[in-house]
Amino acid sequence: MKIAYPHLINFFKDKPSIEDVSEKLFQLGHENEIIGNILDIEFTPNRGDCLSLLGLARDLSVFFALDTLPVYYTERLEALNLNFENHATDDCPAISFLSIDIDEIPSKYEDYLESYFTTFQINKNNFFTDISNYLAYEMGQPTHCYDINKFNGNIEFVSDDFNENFETVLEKKITLSGTNCVFKSNNEVINLAGVMGGKSTACTRSTKQVLIECAYFNPESIIGKALKYNLHSDASYKFERGVDPSYQEQTLRRFIKIVSDHTNIKSIKYSSFVSKELPVKTLKFDVKEIEKIIGTNIDEELYKNSIIKLGFTISNNHINVPSYRHDIAHQNDMAEEMARIIGYDNINSTVFKIHKTQAPEESEYENSLRNFLASKGFNEVINMPFSNKTDASIKIDNPLDSNRGYLRTTLKHSLIENLLYNEKRQNESIKLFEISDIYSRKNNGEIENEKYLGIIVSGRVGNNYKEFSKKLDHQYLEEHFGIDKNSIFEIPRDGLDTKIKNKIYMALIKFSNLPKNLENLHNIEVNKISFNTYKPISDFPSSTRDLSFVLSDKNKIKELEEIILNFKSIYLKDSFVFDFYNNEKTNQIKIGFRLIFNSNHKTLTVDDVDNEIDNIVTICMEIGGVEIPGYK
Amino acid sequence: MSEDTGIYPELNIEPGSVHPINQTKKYLLDILSSIGFSTINGPEIETEEYNFDMLNIKKTHPARQMHDTFYAQDKEYVLRTHTSPVQIRAMLNNKSPMSFASGGKVYRKDDDATHLPMFHQVEGIHVDESVNFAQLKSLIFQIIYEIFGNEIEIRFRPSYFPFTEPSAEVDILSKDGKWLEILGCGIINPVVLENCNIDSEKFSGLAFGLGVERIAMLKYEVDDIRDFYKSNLDFLKQFN
Repeated sequence: MKIAYPHLINFFKDKPSIEDVSEKLFQLGHENEIIGNILDIEFTPNRGDCLSLLGLARDLSVFFALDTLPVYYTERLEALNLNFENHATDDCPAISFLSIDIDEIPSKYEDYLESYFTTFQINKNNFFTDISNYLAYEMGQPTHCYDINKFNGNIEFVSDDFNENFETVLEKKITLSGTNCVFKSNNEVINLAGVMGGKSTACTRSTKQVLIECAYFNPESIIGKALKYNLHSDASYKFERGVDPSYQEQTLRRFIKIVSDHTNIKSIKYSSFVSKELPVKTLKFDVKEIEKIIGTNIDEELYKNSIIKLGFTISNNHINVPSYRHDIAHQNDMAEEMARIIGYDNINSTVFKIHKTQAPEESEYENSLRNFLASKGFNEVINMPFSNKTDASIKIDNPLDSNRGYLRTTLKHSLIENLLYNEKRQNESIKLFEISDIYSRKNNGEIENEKYLGIIVSGRVGNNYKEFSKKLDHQYLEEHFGIDKNSIFEIPRDGLDTKIKNKIYMALIKFSNLPKNLENLHNIEVNKISFNTYKPISDFPSSTRDLSFVLSDKNKIKELEEIILNFKSIYLKDSFVFDFYNNEKTNQIKIGFRLIFNSNHKTLTVDDVDNEIDNIVTICMEIGGVEIPGYK
Repeated sequence: MSEDTGIYPELNIEPGSVHPINQTKKYLLDILSSIGFSTINGPEIETEEYNFDMLNIKKTHPARQMHDTFYAQDKEYVLRTHTSPVQIRAMLNNKSPMSFASGGKVYRKDDDATHLPMFHQVEGIHVDESVNFAQLKSLIFQIIYEIFGNEIEIRFRPSYFPFTEPSAEVDILSKDGKWLEILGCGIINPVVLENCNIDSEKFSGLAFGLGVERIAMLKYEVDDIRDFYKSNLDFLKQFN
C-alpha cells in the first residue's frame, strides 16, 4: 500500500523525517520502500487495521505523539427510512446507510482531497465516489455510493448461488457463478459485496442525491471473489483482511464532514442495521506472562502506555482489545506487540541447550544410497511430480495447466525426458538416478505412497580410454549394483524424439525391495560439502574434436598429457584421453585426446575451434618426437 | 602414471553427484542434528486439517486459496505447502520436551522465473517448559553462523505466520550490502500446541523454517532457481 509521507506526517506533533518513519515502520514489521515522498508499504495479512493513514498513524503513535486527527460531523443524524432487508446476517453482521442531498457539485476540491488525487496521480471520477476513495485511504473503511435516483428505494443483501450477468461500475461484464454475496434492488444485482459496485446504480458527475453504504463483511464470505472475477479493488483488499466492524457511523460522519467542507448539504439521513454485536475481546494485563514469552524484563509502564496508544484500554487488570485488532487473541499476541515496540534486534538472545530426542534417523539409508550411486558415477536428478493422467494417478483440482493435471505414478517418463535432454546437449555417457516418493490412488480411493529408486543409463560407460568404447547396458547395472535383472528393462527408442541409437536401460525399484546391504553402502567416503561456486552453464551447443598423437619416446607421454589436459582457453570445456595403445612391436604409443569446446555467449564456428586446435597443436609439437598423422 | 609399464595415462573416472538441493538439505539437517534435533519425515500429500487447520491457518488466509495451494481429489487432499504438518504429527505422537527437524518437498501454485511449483524446506521445532523468544534468537544465531560464518550480519524483523506468535523473519546482509531474507521463525502459537494436545500453560515451543533452494543459491552462487531442476548434466556434475 502506498502512503504519502506529507499526508501521514500531518497526524504527528513532531515531524519525523521520512527516513525515521520508514525505520520505525520496519521495526514494527511493516516492510517498506521510500519512493520520493511515498512510502510503499507491505503489510502482513493479519494487519488490516493498518491499511489507512489513520491506522498507520495509530501504529506509529508508540514512537511519535499523535496531534491532528480527522474531524467528524458531530450533529444528531435524522433517521433514514430505508427499505433494506439483510438475508445473510452471518456474512454481513453490521451495515449502515447514509443519504445525502447536496445543493451544488463543487467545482474544486479542498487541498487535502485534491492532494490525494495529485499525489497518487489518480483520475477523479465524481464528487461522491472521489470522497469514498479518499475516505478508504484516510480511514481504512470502504464505502459504496449509489445514485439514489437510479433505484426504487428498496435494497437487500443476499448470499446465494447465482448464475447471472453483472456489469461493474468499471463497465466490465461478468457472469456470477457459485455462491456470492450481493446487494440487489428490484431483483437486479447492483453490487458484488465487498468487491465492486454495479454500473446501473453508479454515481455520475451530475449526482447530487446519494445513498452511501458502509458495511462490515465477514472476510470468509467474500475472500477469493475478487480473484475469481478478476475484479481487484482497494475495497476487496481491505474487506478480505477485515475492517473495523464497529466503525461505520464514524466513517459516515467523516464522509458528511468532507462533503460539508465542499458544498452546502440540503439533507442528511442515516440508518444502521446491526444484527450481531461482536463481543469485546479481553485479556489479562499480565506483564510477567509477556516477560516469560519474550524472555526479557519488560517495563510495566512502557507496556501499559504503549498498548493504550495502540487503542487498547485497561480496566480491572484486564486489557480490552479494540475492535479493529482482529489479530489479537491471547498473551502471545500481546508479547509480539511489546517485542515490536522494543525492537526485535534489541532483545538479547539467551543461550540454552537442546537435549536430543531419541528418534530414528529415517533418512540414513536414503542418504547412503545417494552417496553410493554418486560414487559410481551417477548424477542425481529431482523432477517435478506433475504429469498427464494414468489409471491410478491423483488428480490435481487446480493444475498449472492441462499437461500437469495429475501426479506421476512412475519415475519412468521423467527420467527418459532427462536422458533425452542430456543427449541433445551432446552428452555421450549418461547415468542418472532419482529417489522419490510416488503417490497413487488405490481402488478404494485411499492414497498409497511408495518410495522408489529410478536409474537410467545410455551411451558410453565412461569418458576414459578403458570405458570409452564400452556401452552402458543391463549387465553394467547388474554387476555394479547387484540389481535383480528382472528389475532392469530396456526402453525402446521408437517414438522418442531422438536420432541417437544407443540402447537405454532403466531400473525402477521400490525402496522396500532394495537390498539393505548394497555393496559397501555404508562405507562410502563422503566429502564434507564444499559449496564451490558454480559456473554458469552454456545454452549453446558444444563442438567436439579428437587429436590422435603418435609418440616414439614413451617419456614424452606425461608431458603431452599435462599440456593438453591442463590447457587453458576460453572455449575448451573438457578434455580426456579416450584412446591409448602401446604397440610394443613398433615401440610406438598411440594416444587419442577428445577435446570439447563450448562458449557461454555464442555457437562456436569452425574457425573458432580450428584456432583453438592450432594453438594446442603448436605447443604440443614443441615437445619433439610427437606426430599427428594426417594433421594438415 | 600407472600400471606395470608406468606409461598408461591416469583413468578419467568421472564422479557422479548427489543433487545439490539434497546435499544442502542434508547439510542443514546435519547442523540441526548436531544441535540436538532428531530428523523425521512425513507425507507430501496432506489433508487440509494437518496442512492448515491444526496450524491455525484459518479458511480466510490467502495461502488456502486455490491460487496458492494445489488441491487434489476434489479438495480431499492438498499437496503440502510446507513441512509443518510433519511437526504437527511429531507433536501429536511424542511427549514434551521434544526437538524435531524435518526436510522435504513442498508445493505452491507458482511457476515463474523466481518461483517453482515444487521446492524444499527444512523446519525445526523445540517444545519444552519456558521456551522463549530470546532463546529462539540464540538458536537462530547459532544456525546462521554455522551456515554463513560468525562474521555475517543478521537482523530480525516482525512478521506473520499463523502458527507462531511472536513471529519473525530473519535477514542476512549480503556482500553487496543488501538484506536477504533467510528464514522464518517464531514462538509456537499456543493454539497450535493445544491442537496437538500439548498443555500450553506448561509448555511453550519455538519453530523455524528455511528454504533449501534459497540457501543452496546463496552458498553455490546459483542465480536462477530453475537451473536446479533442468537435470542438466553440465550443471549437476559441478556438485560432485
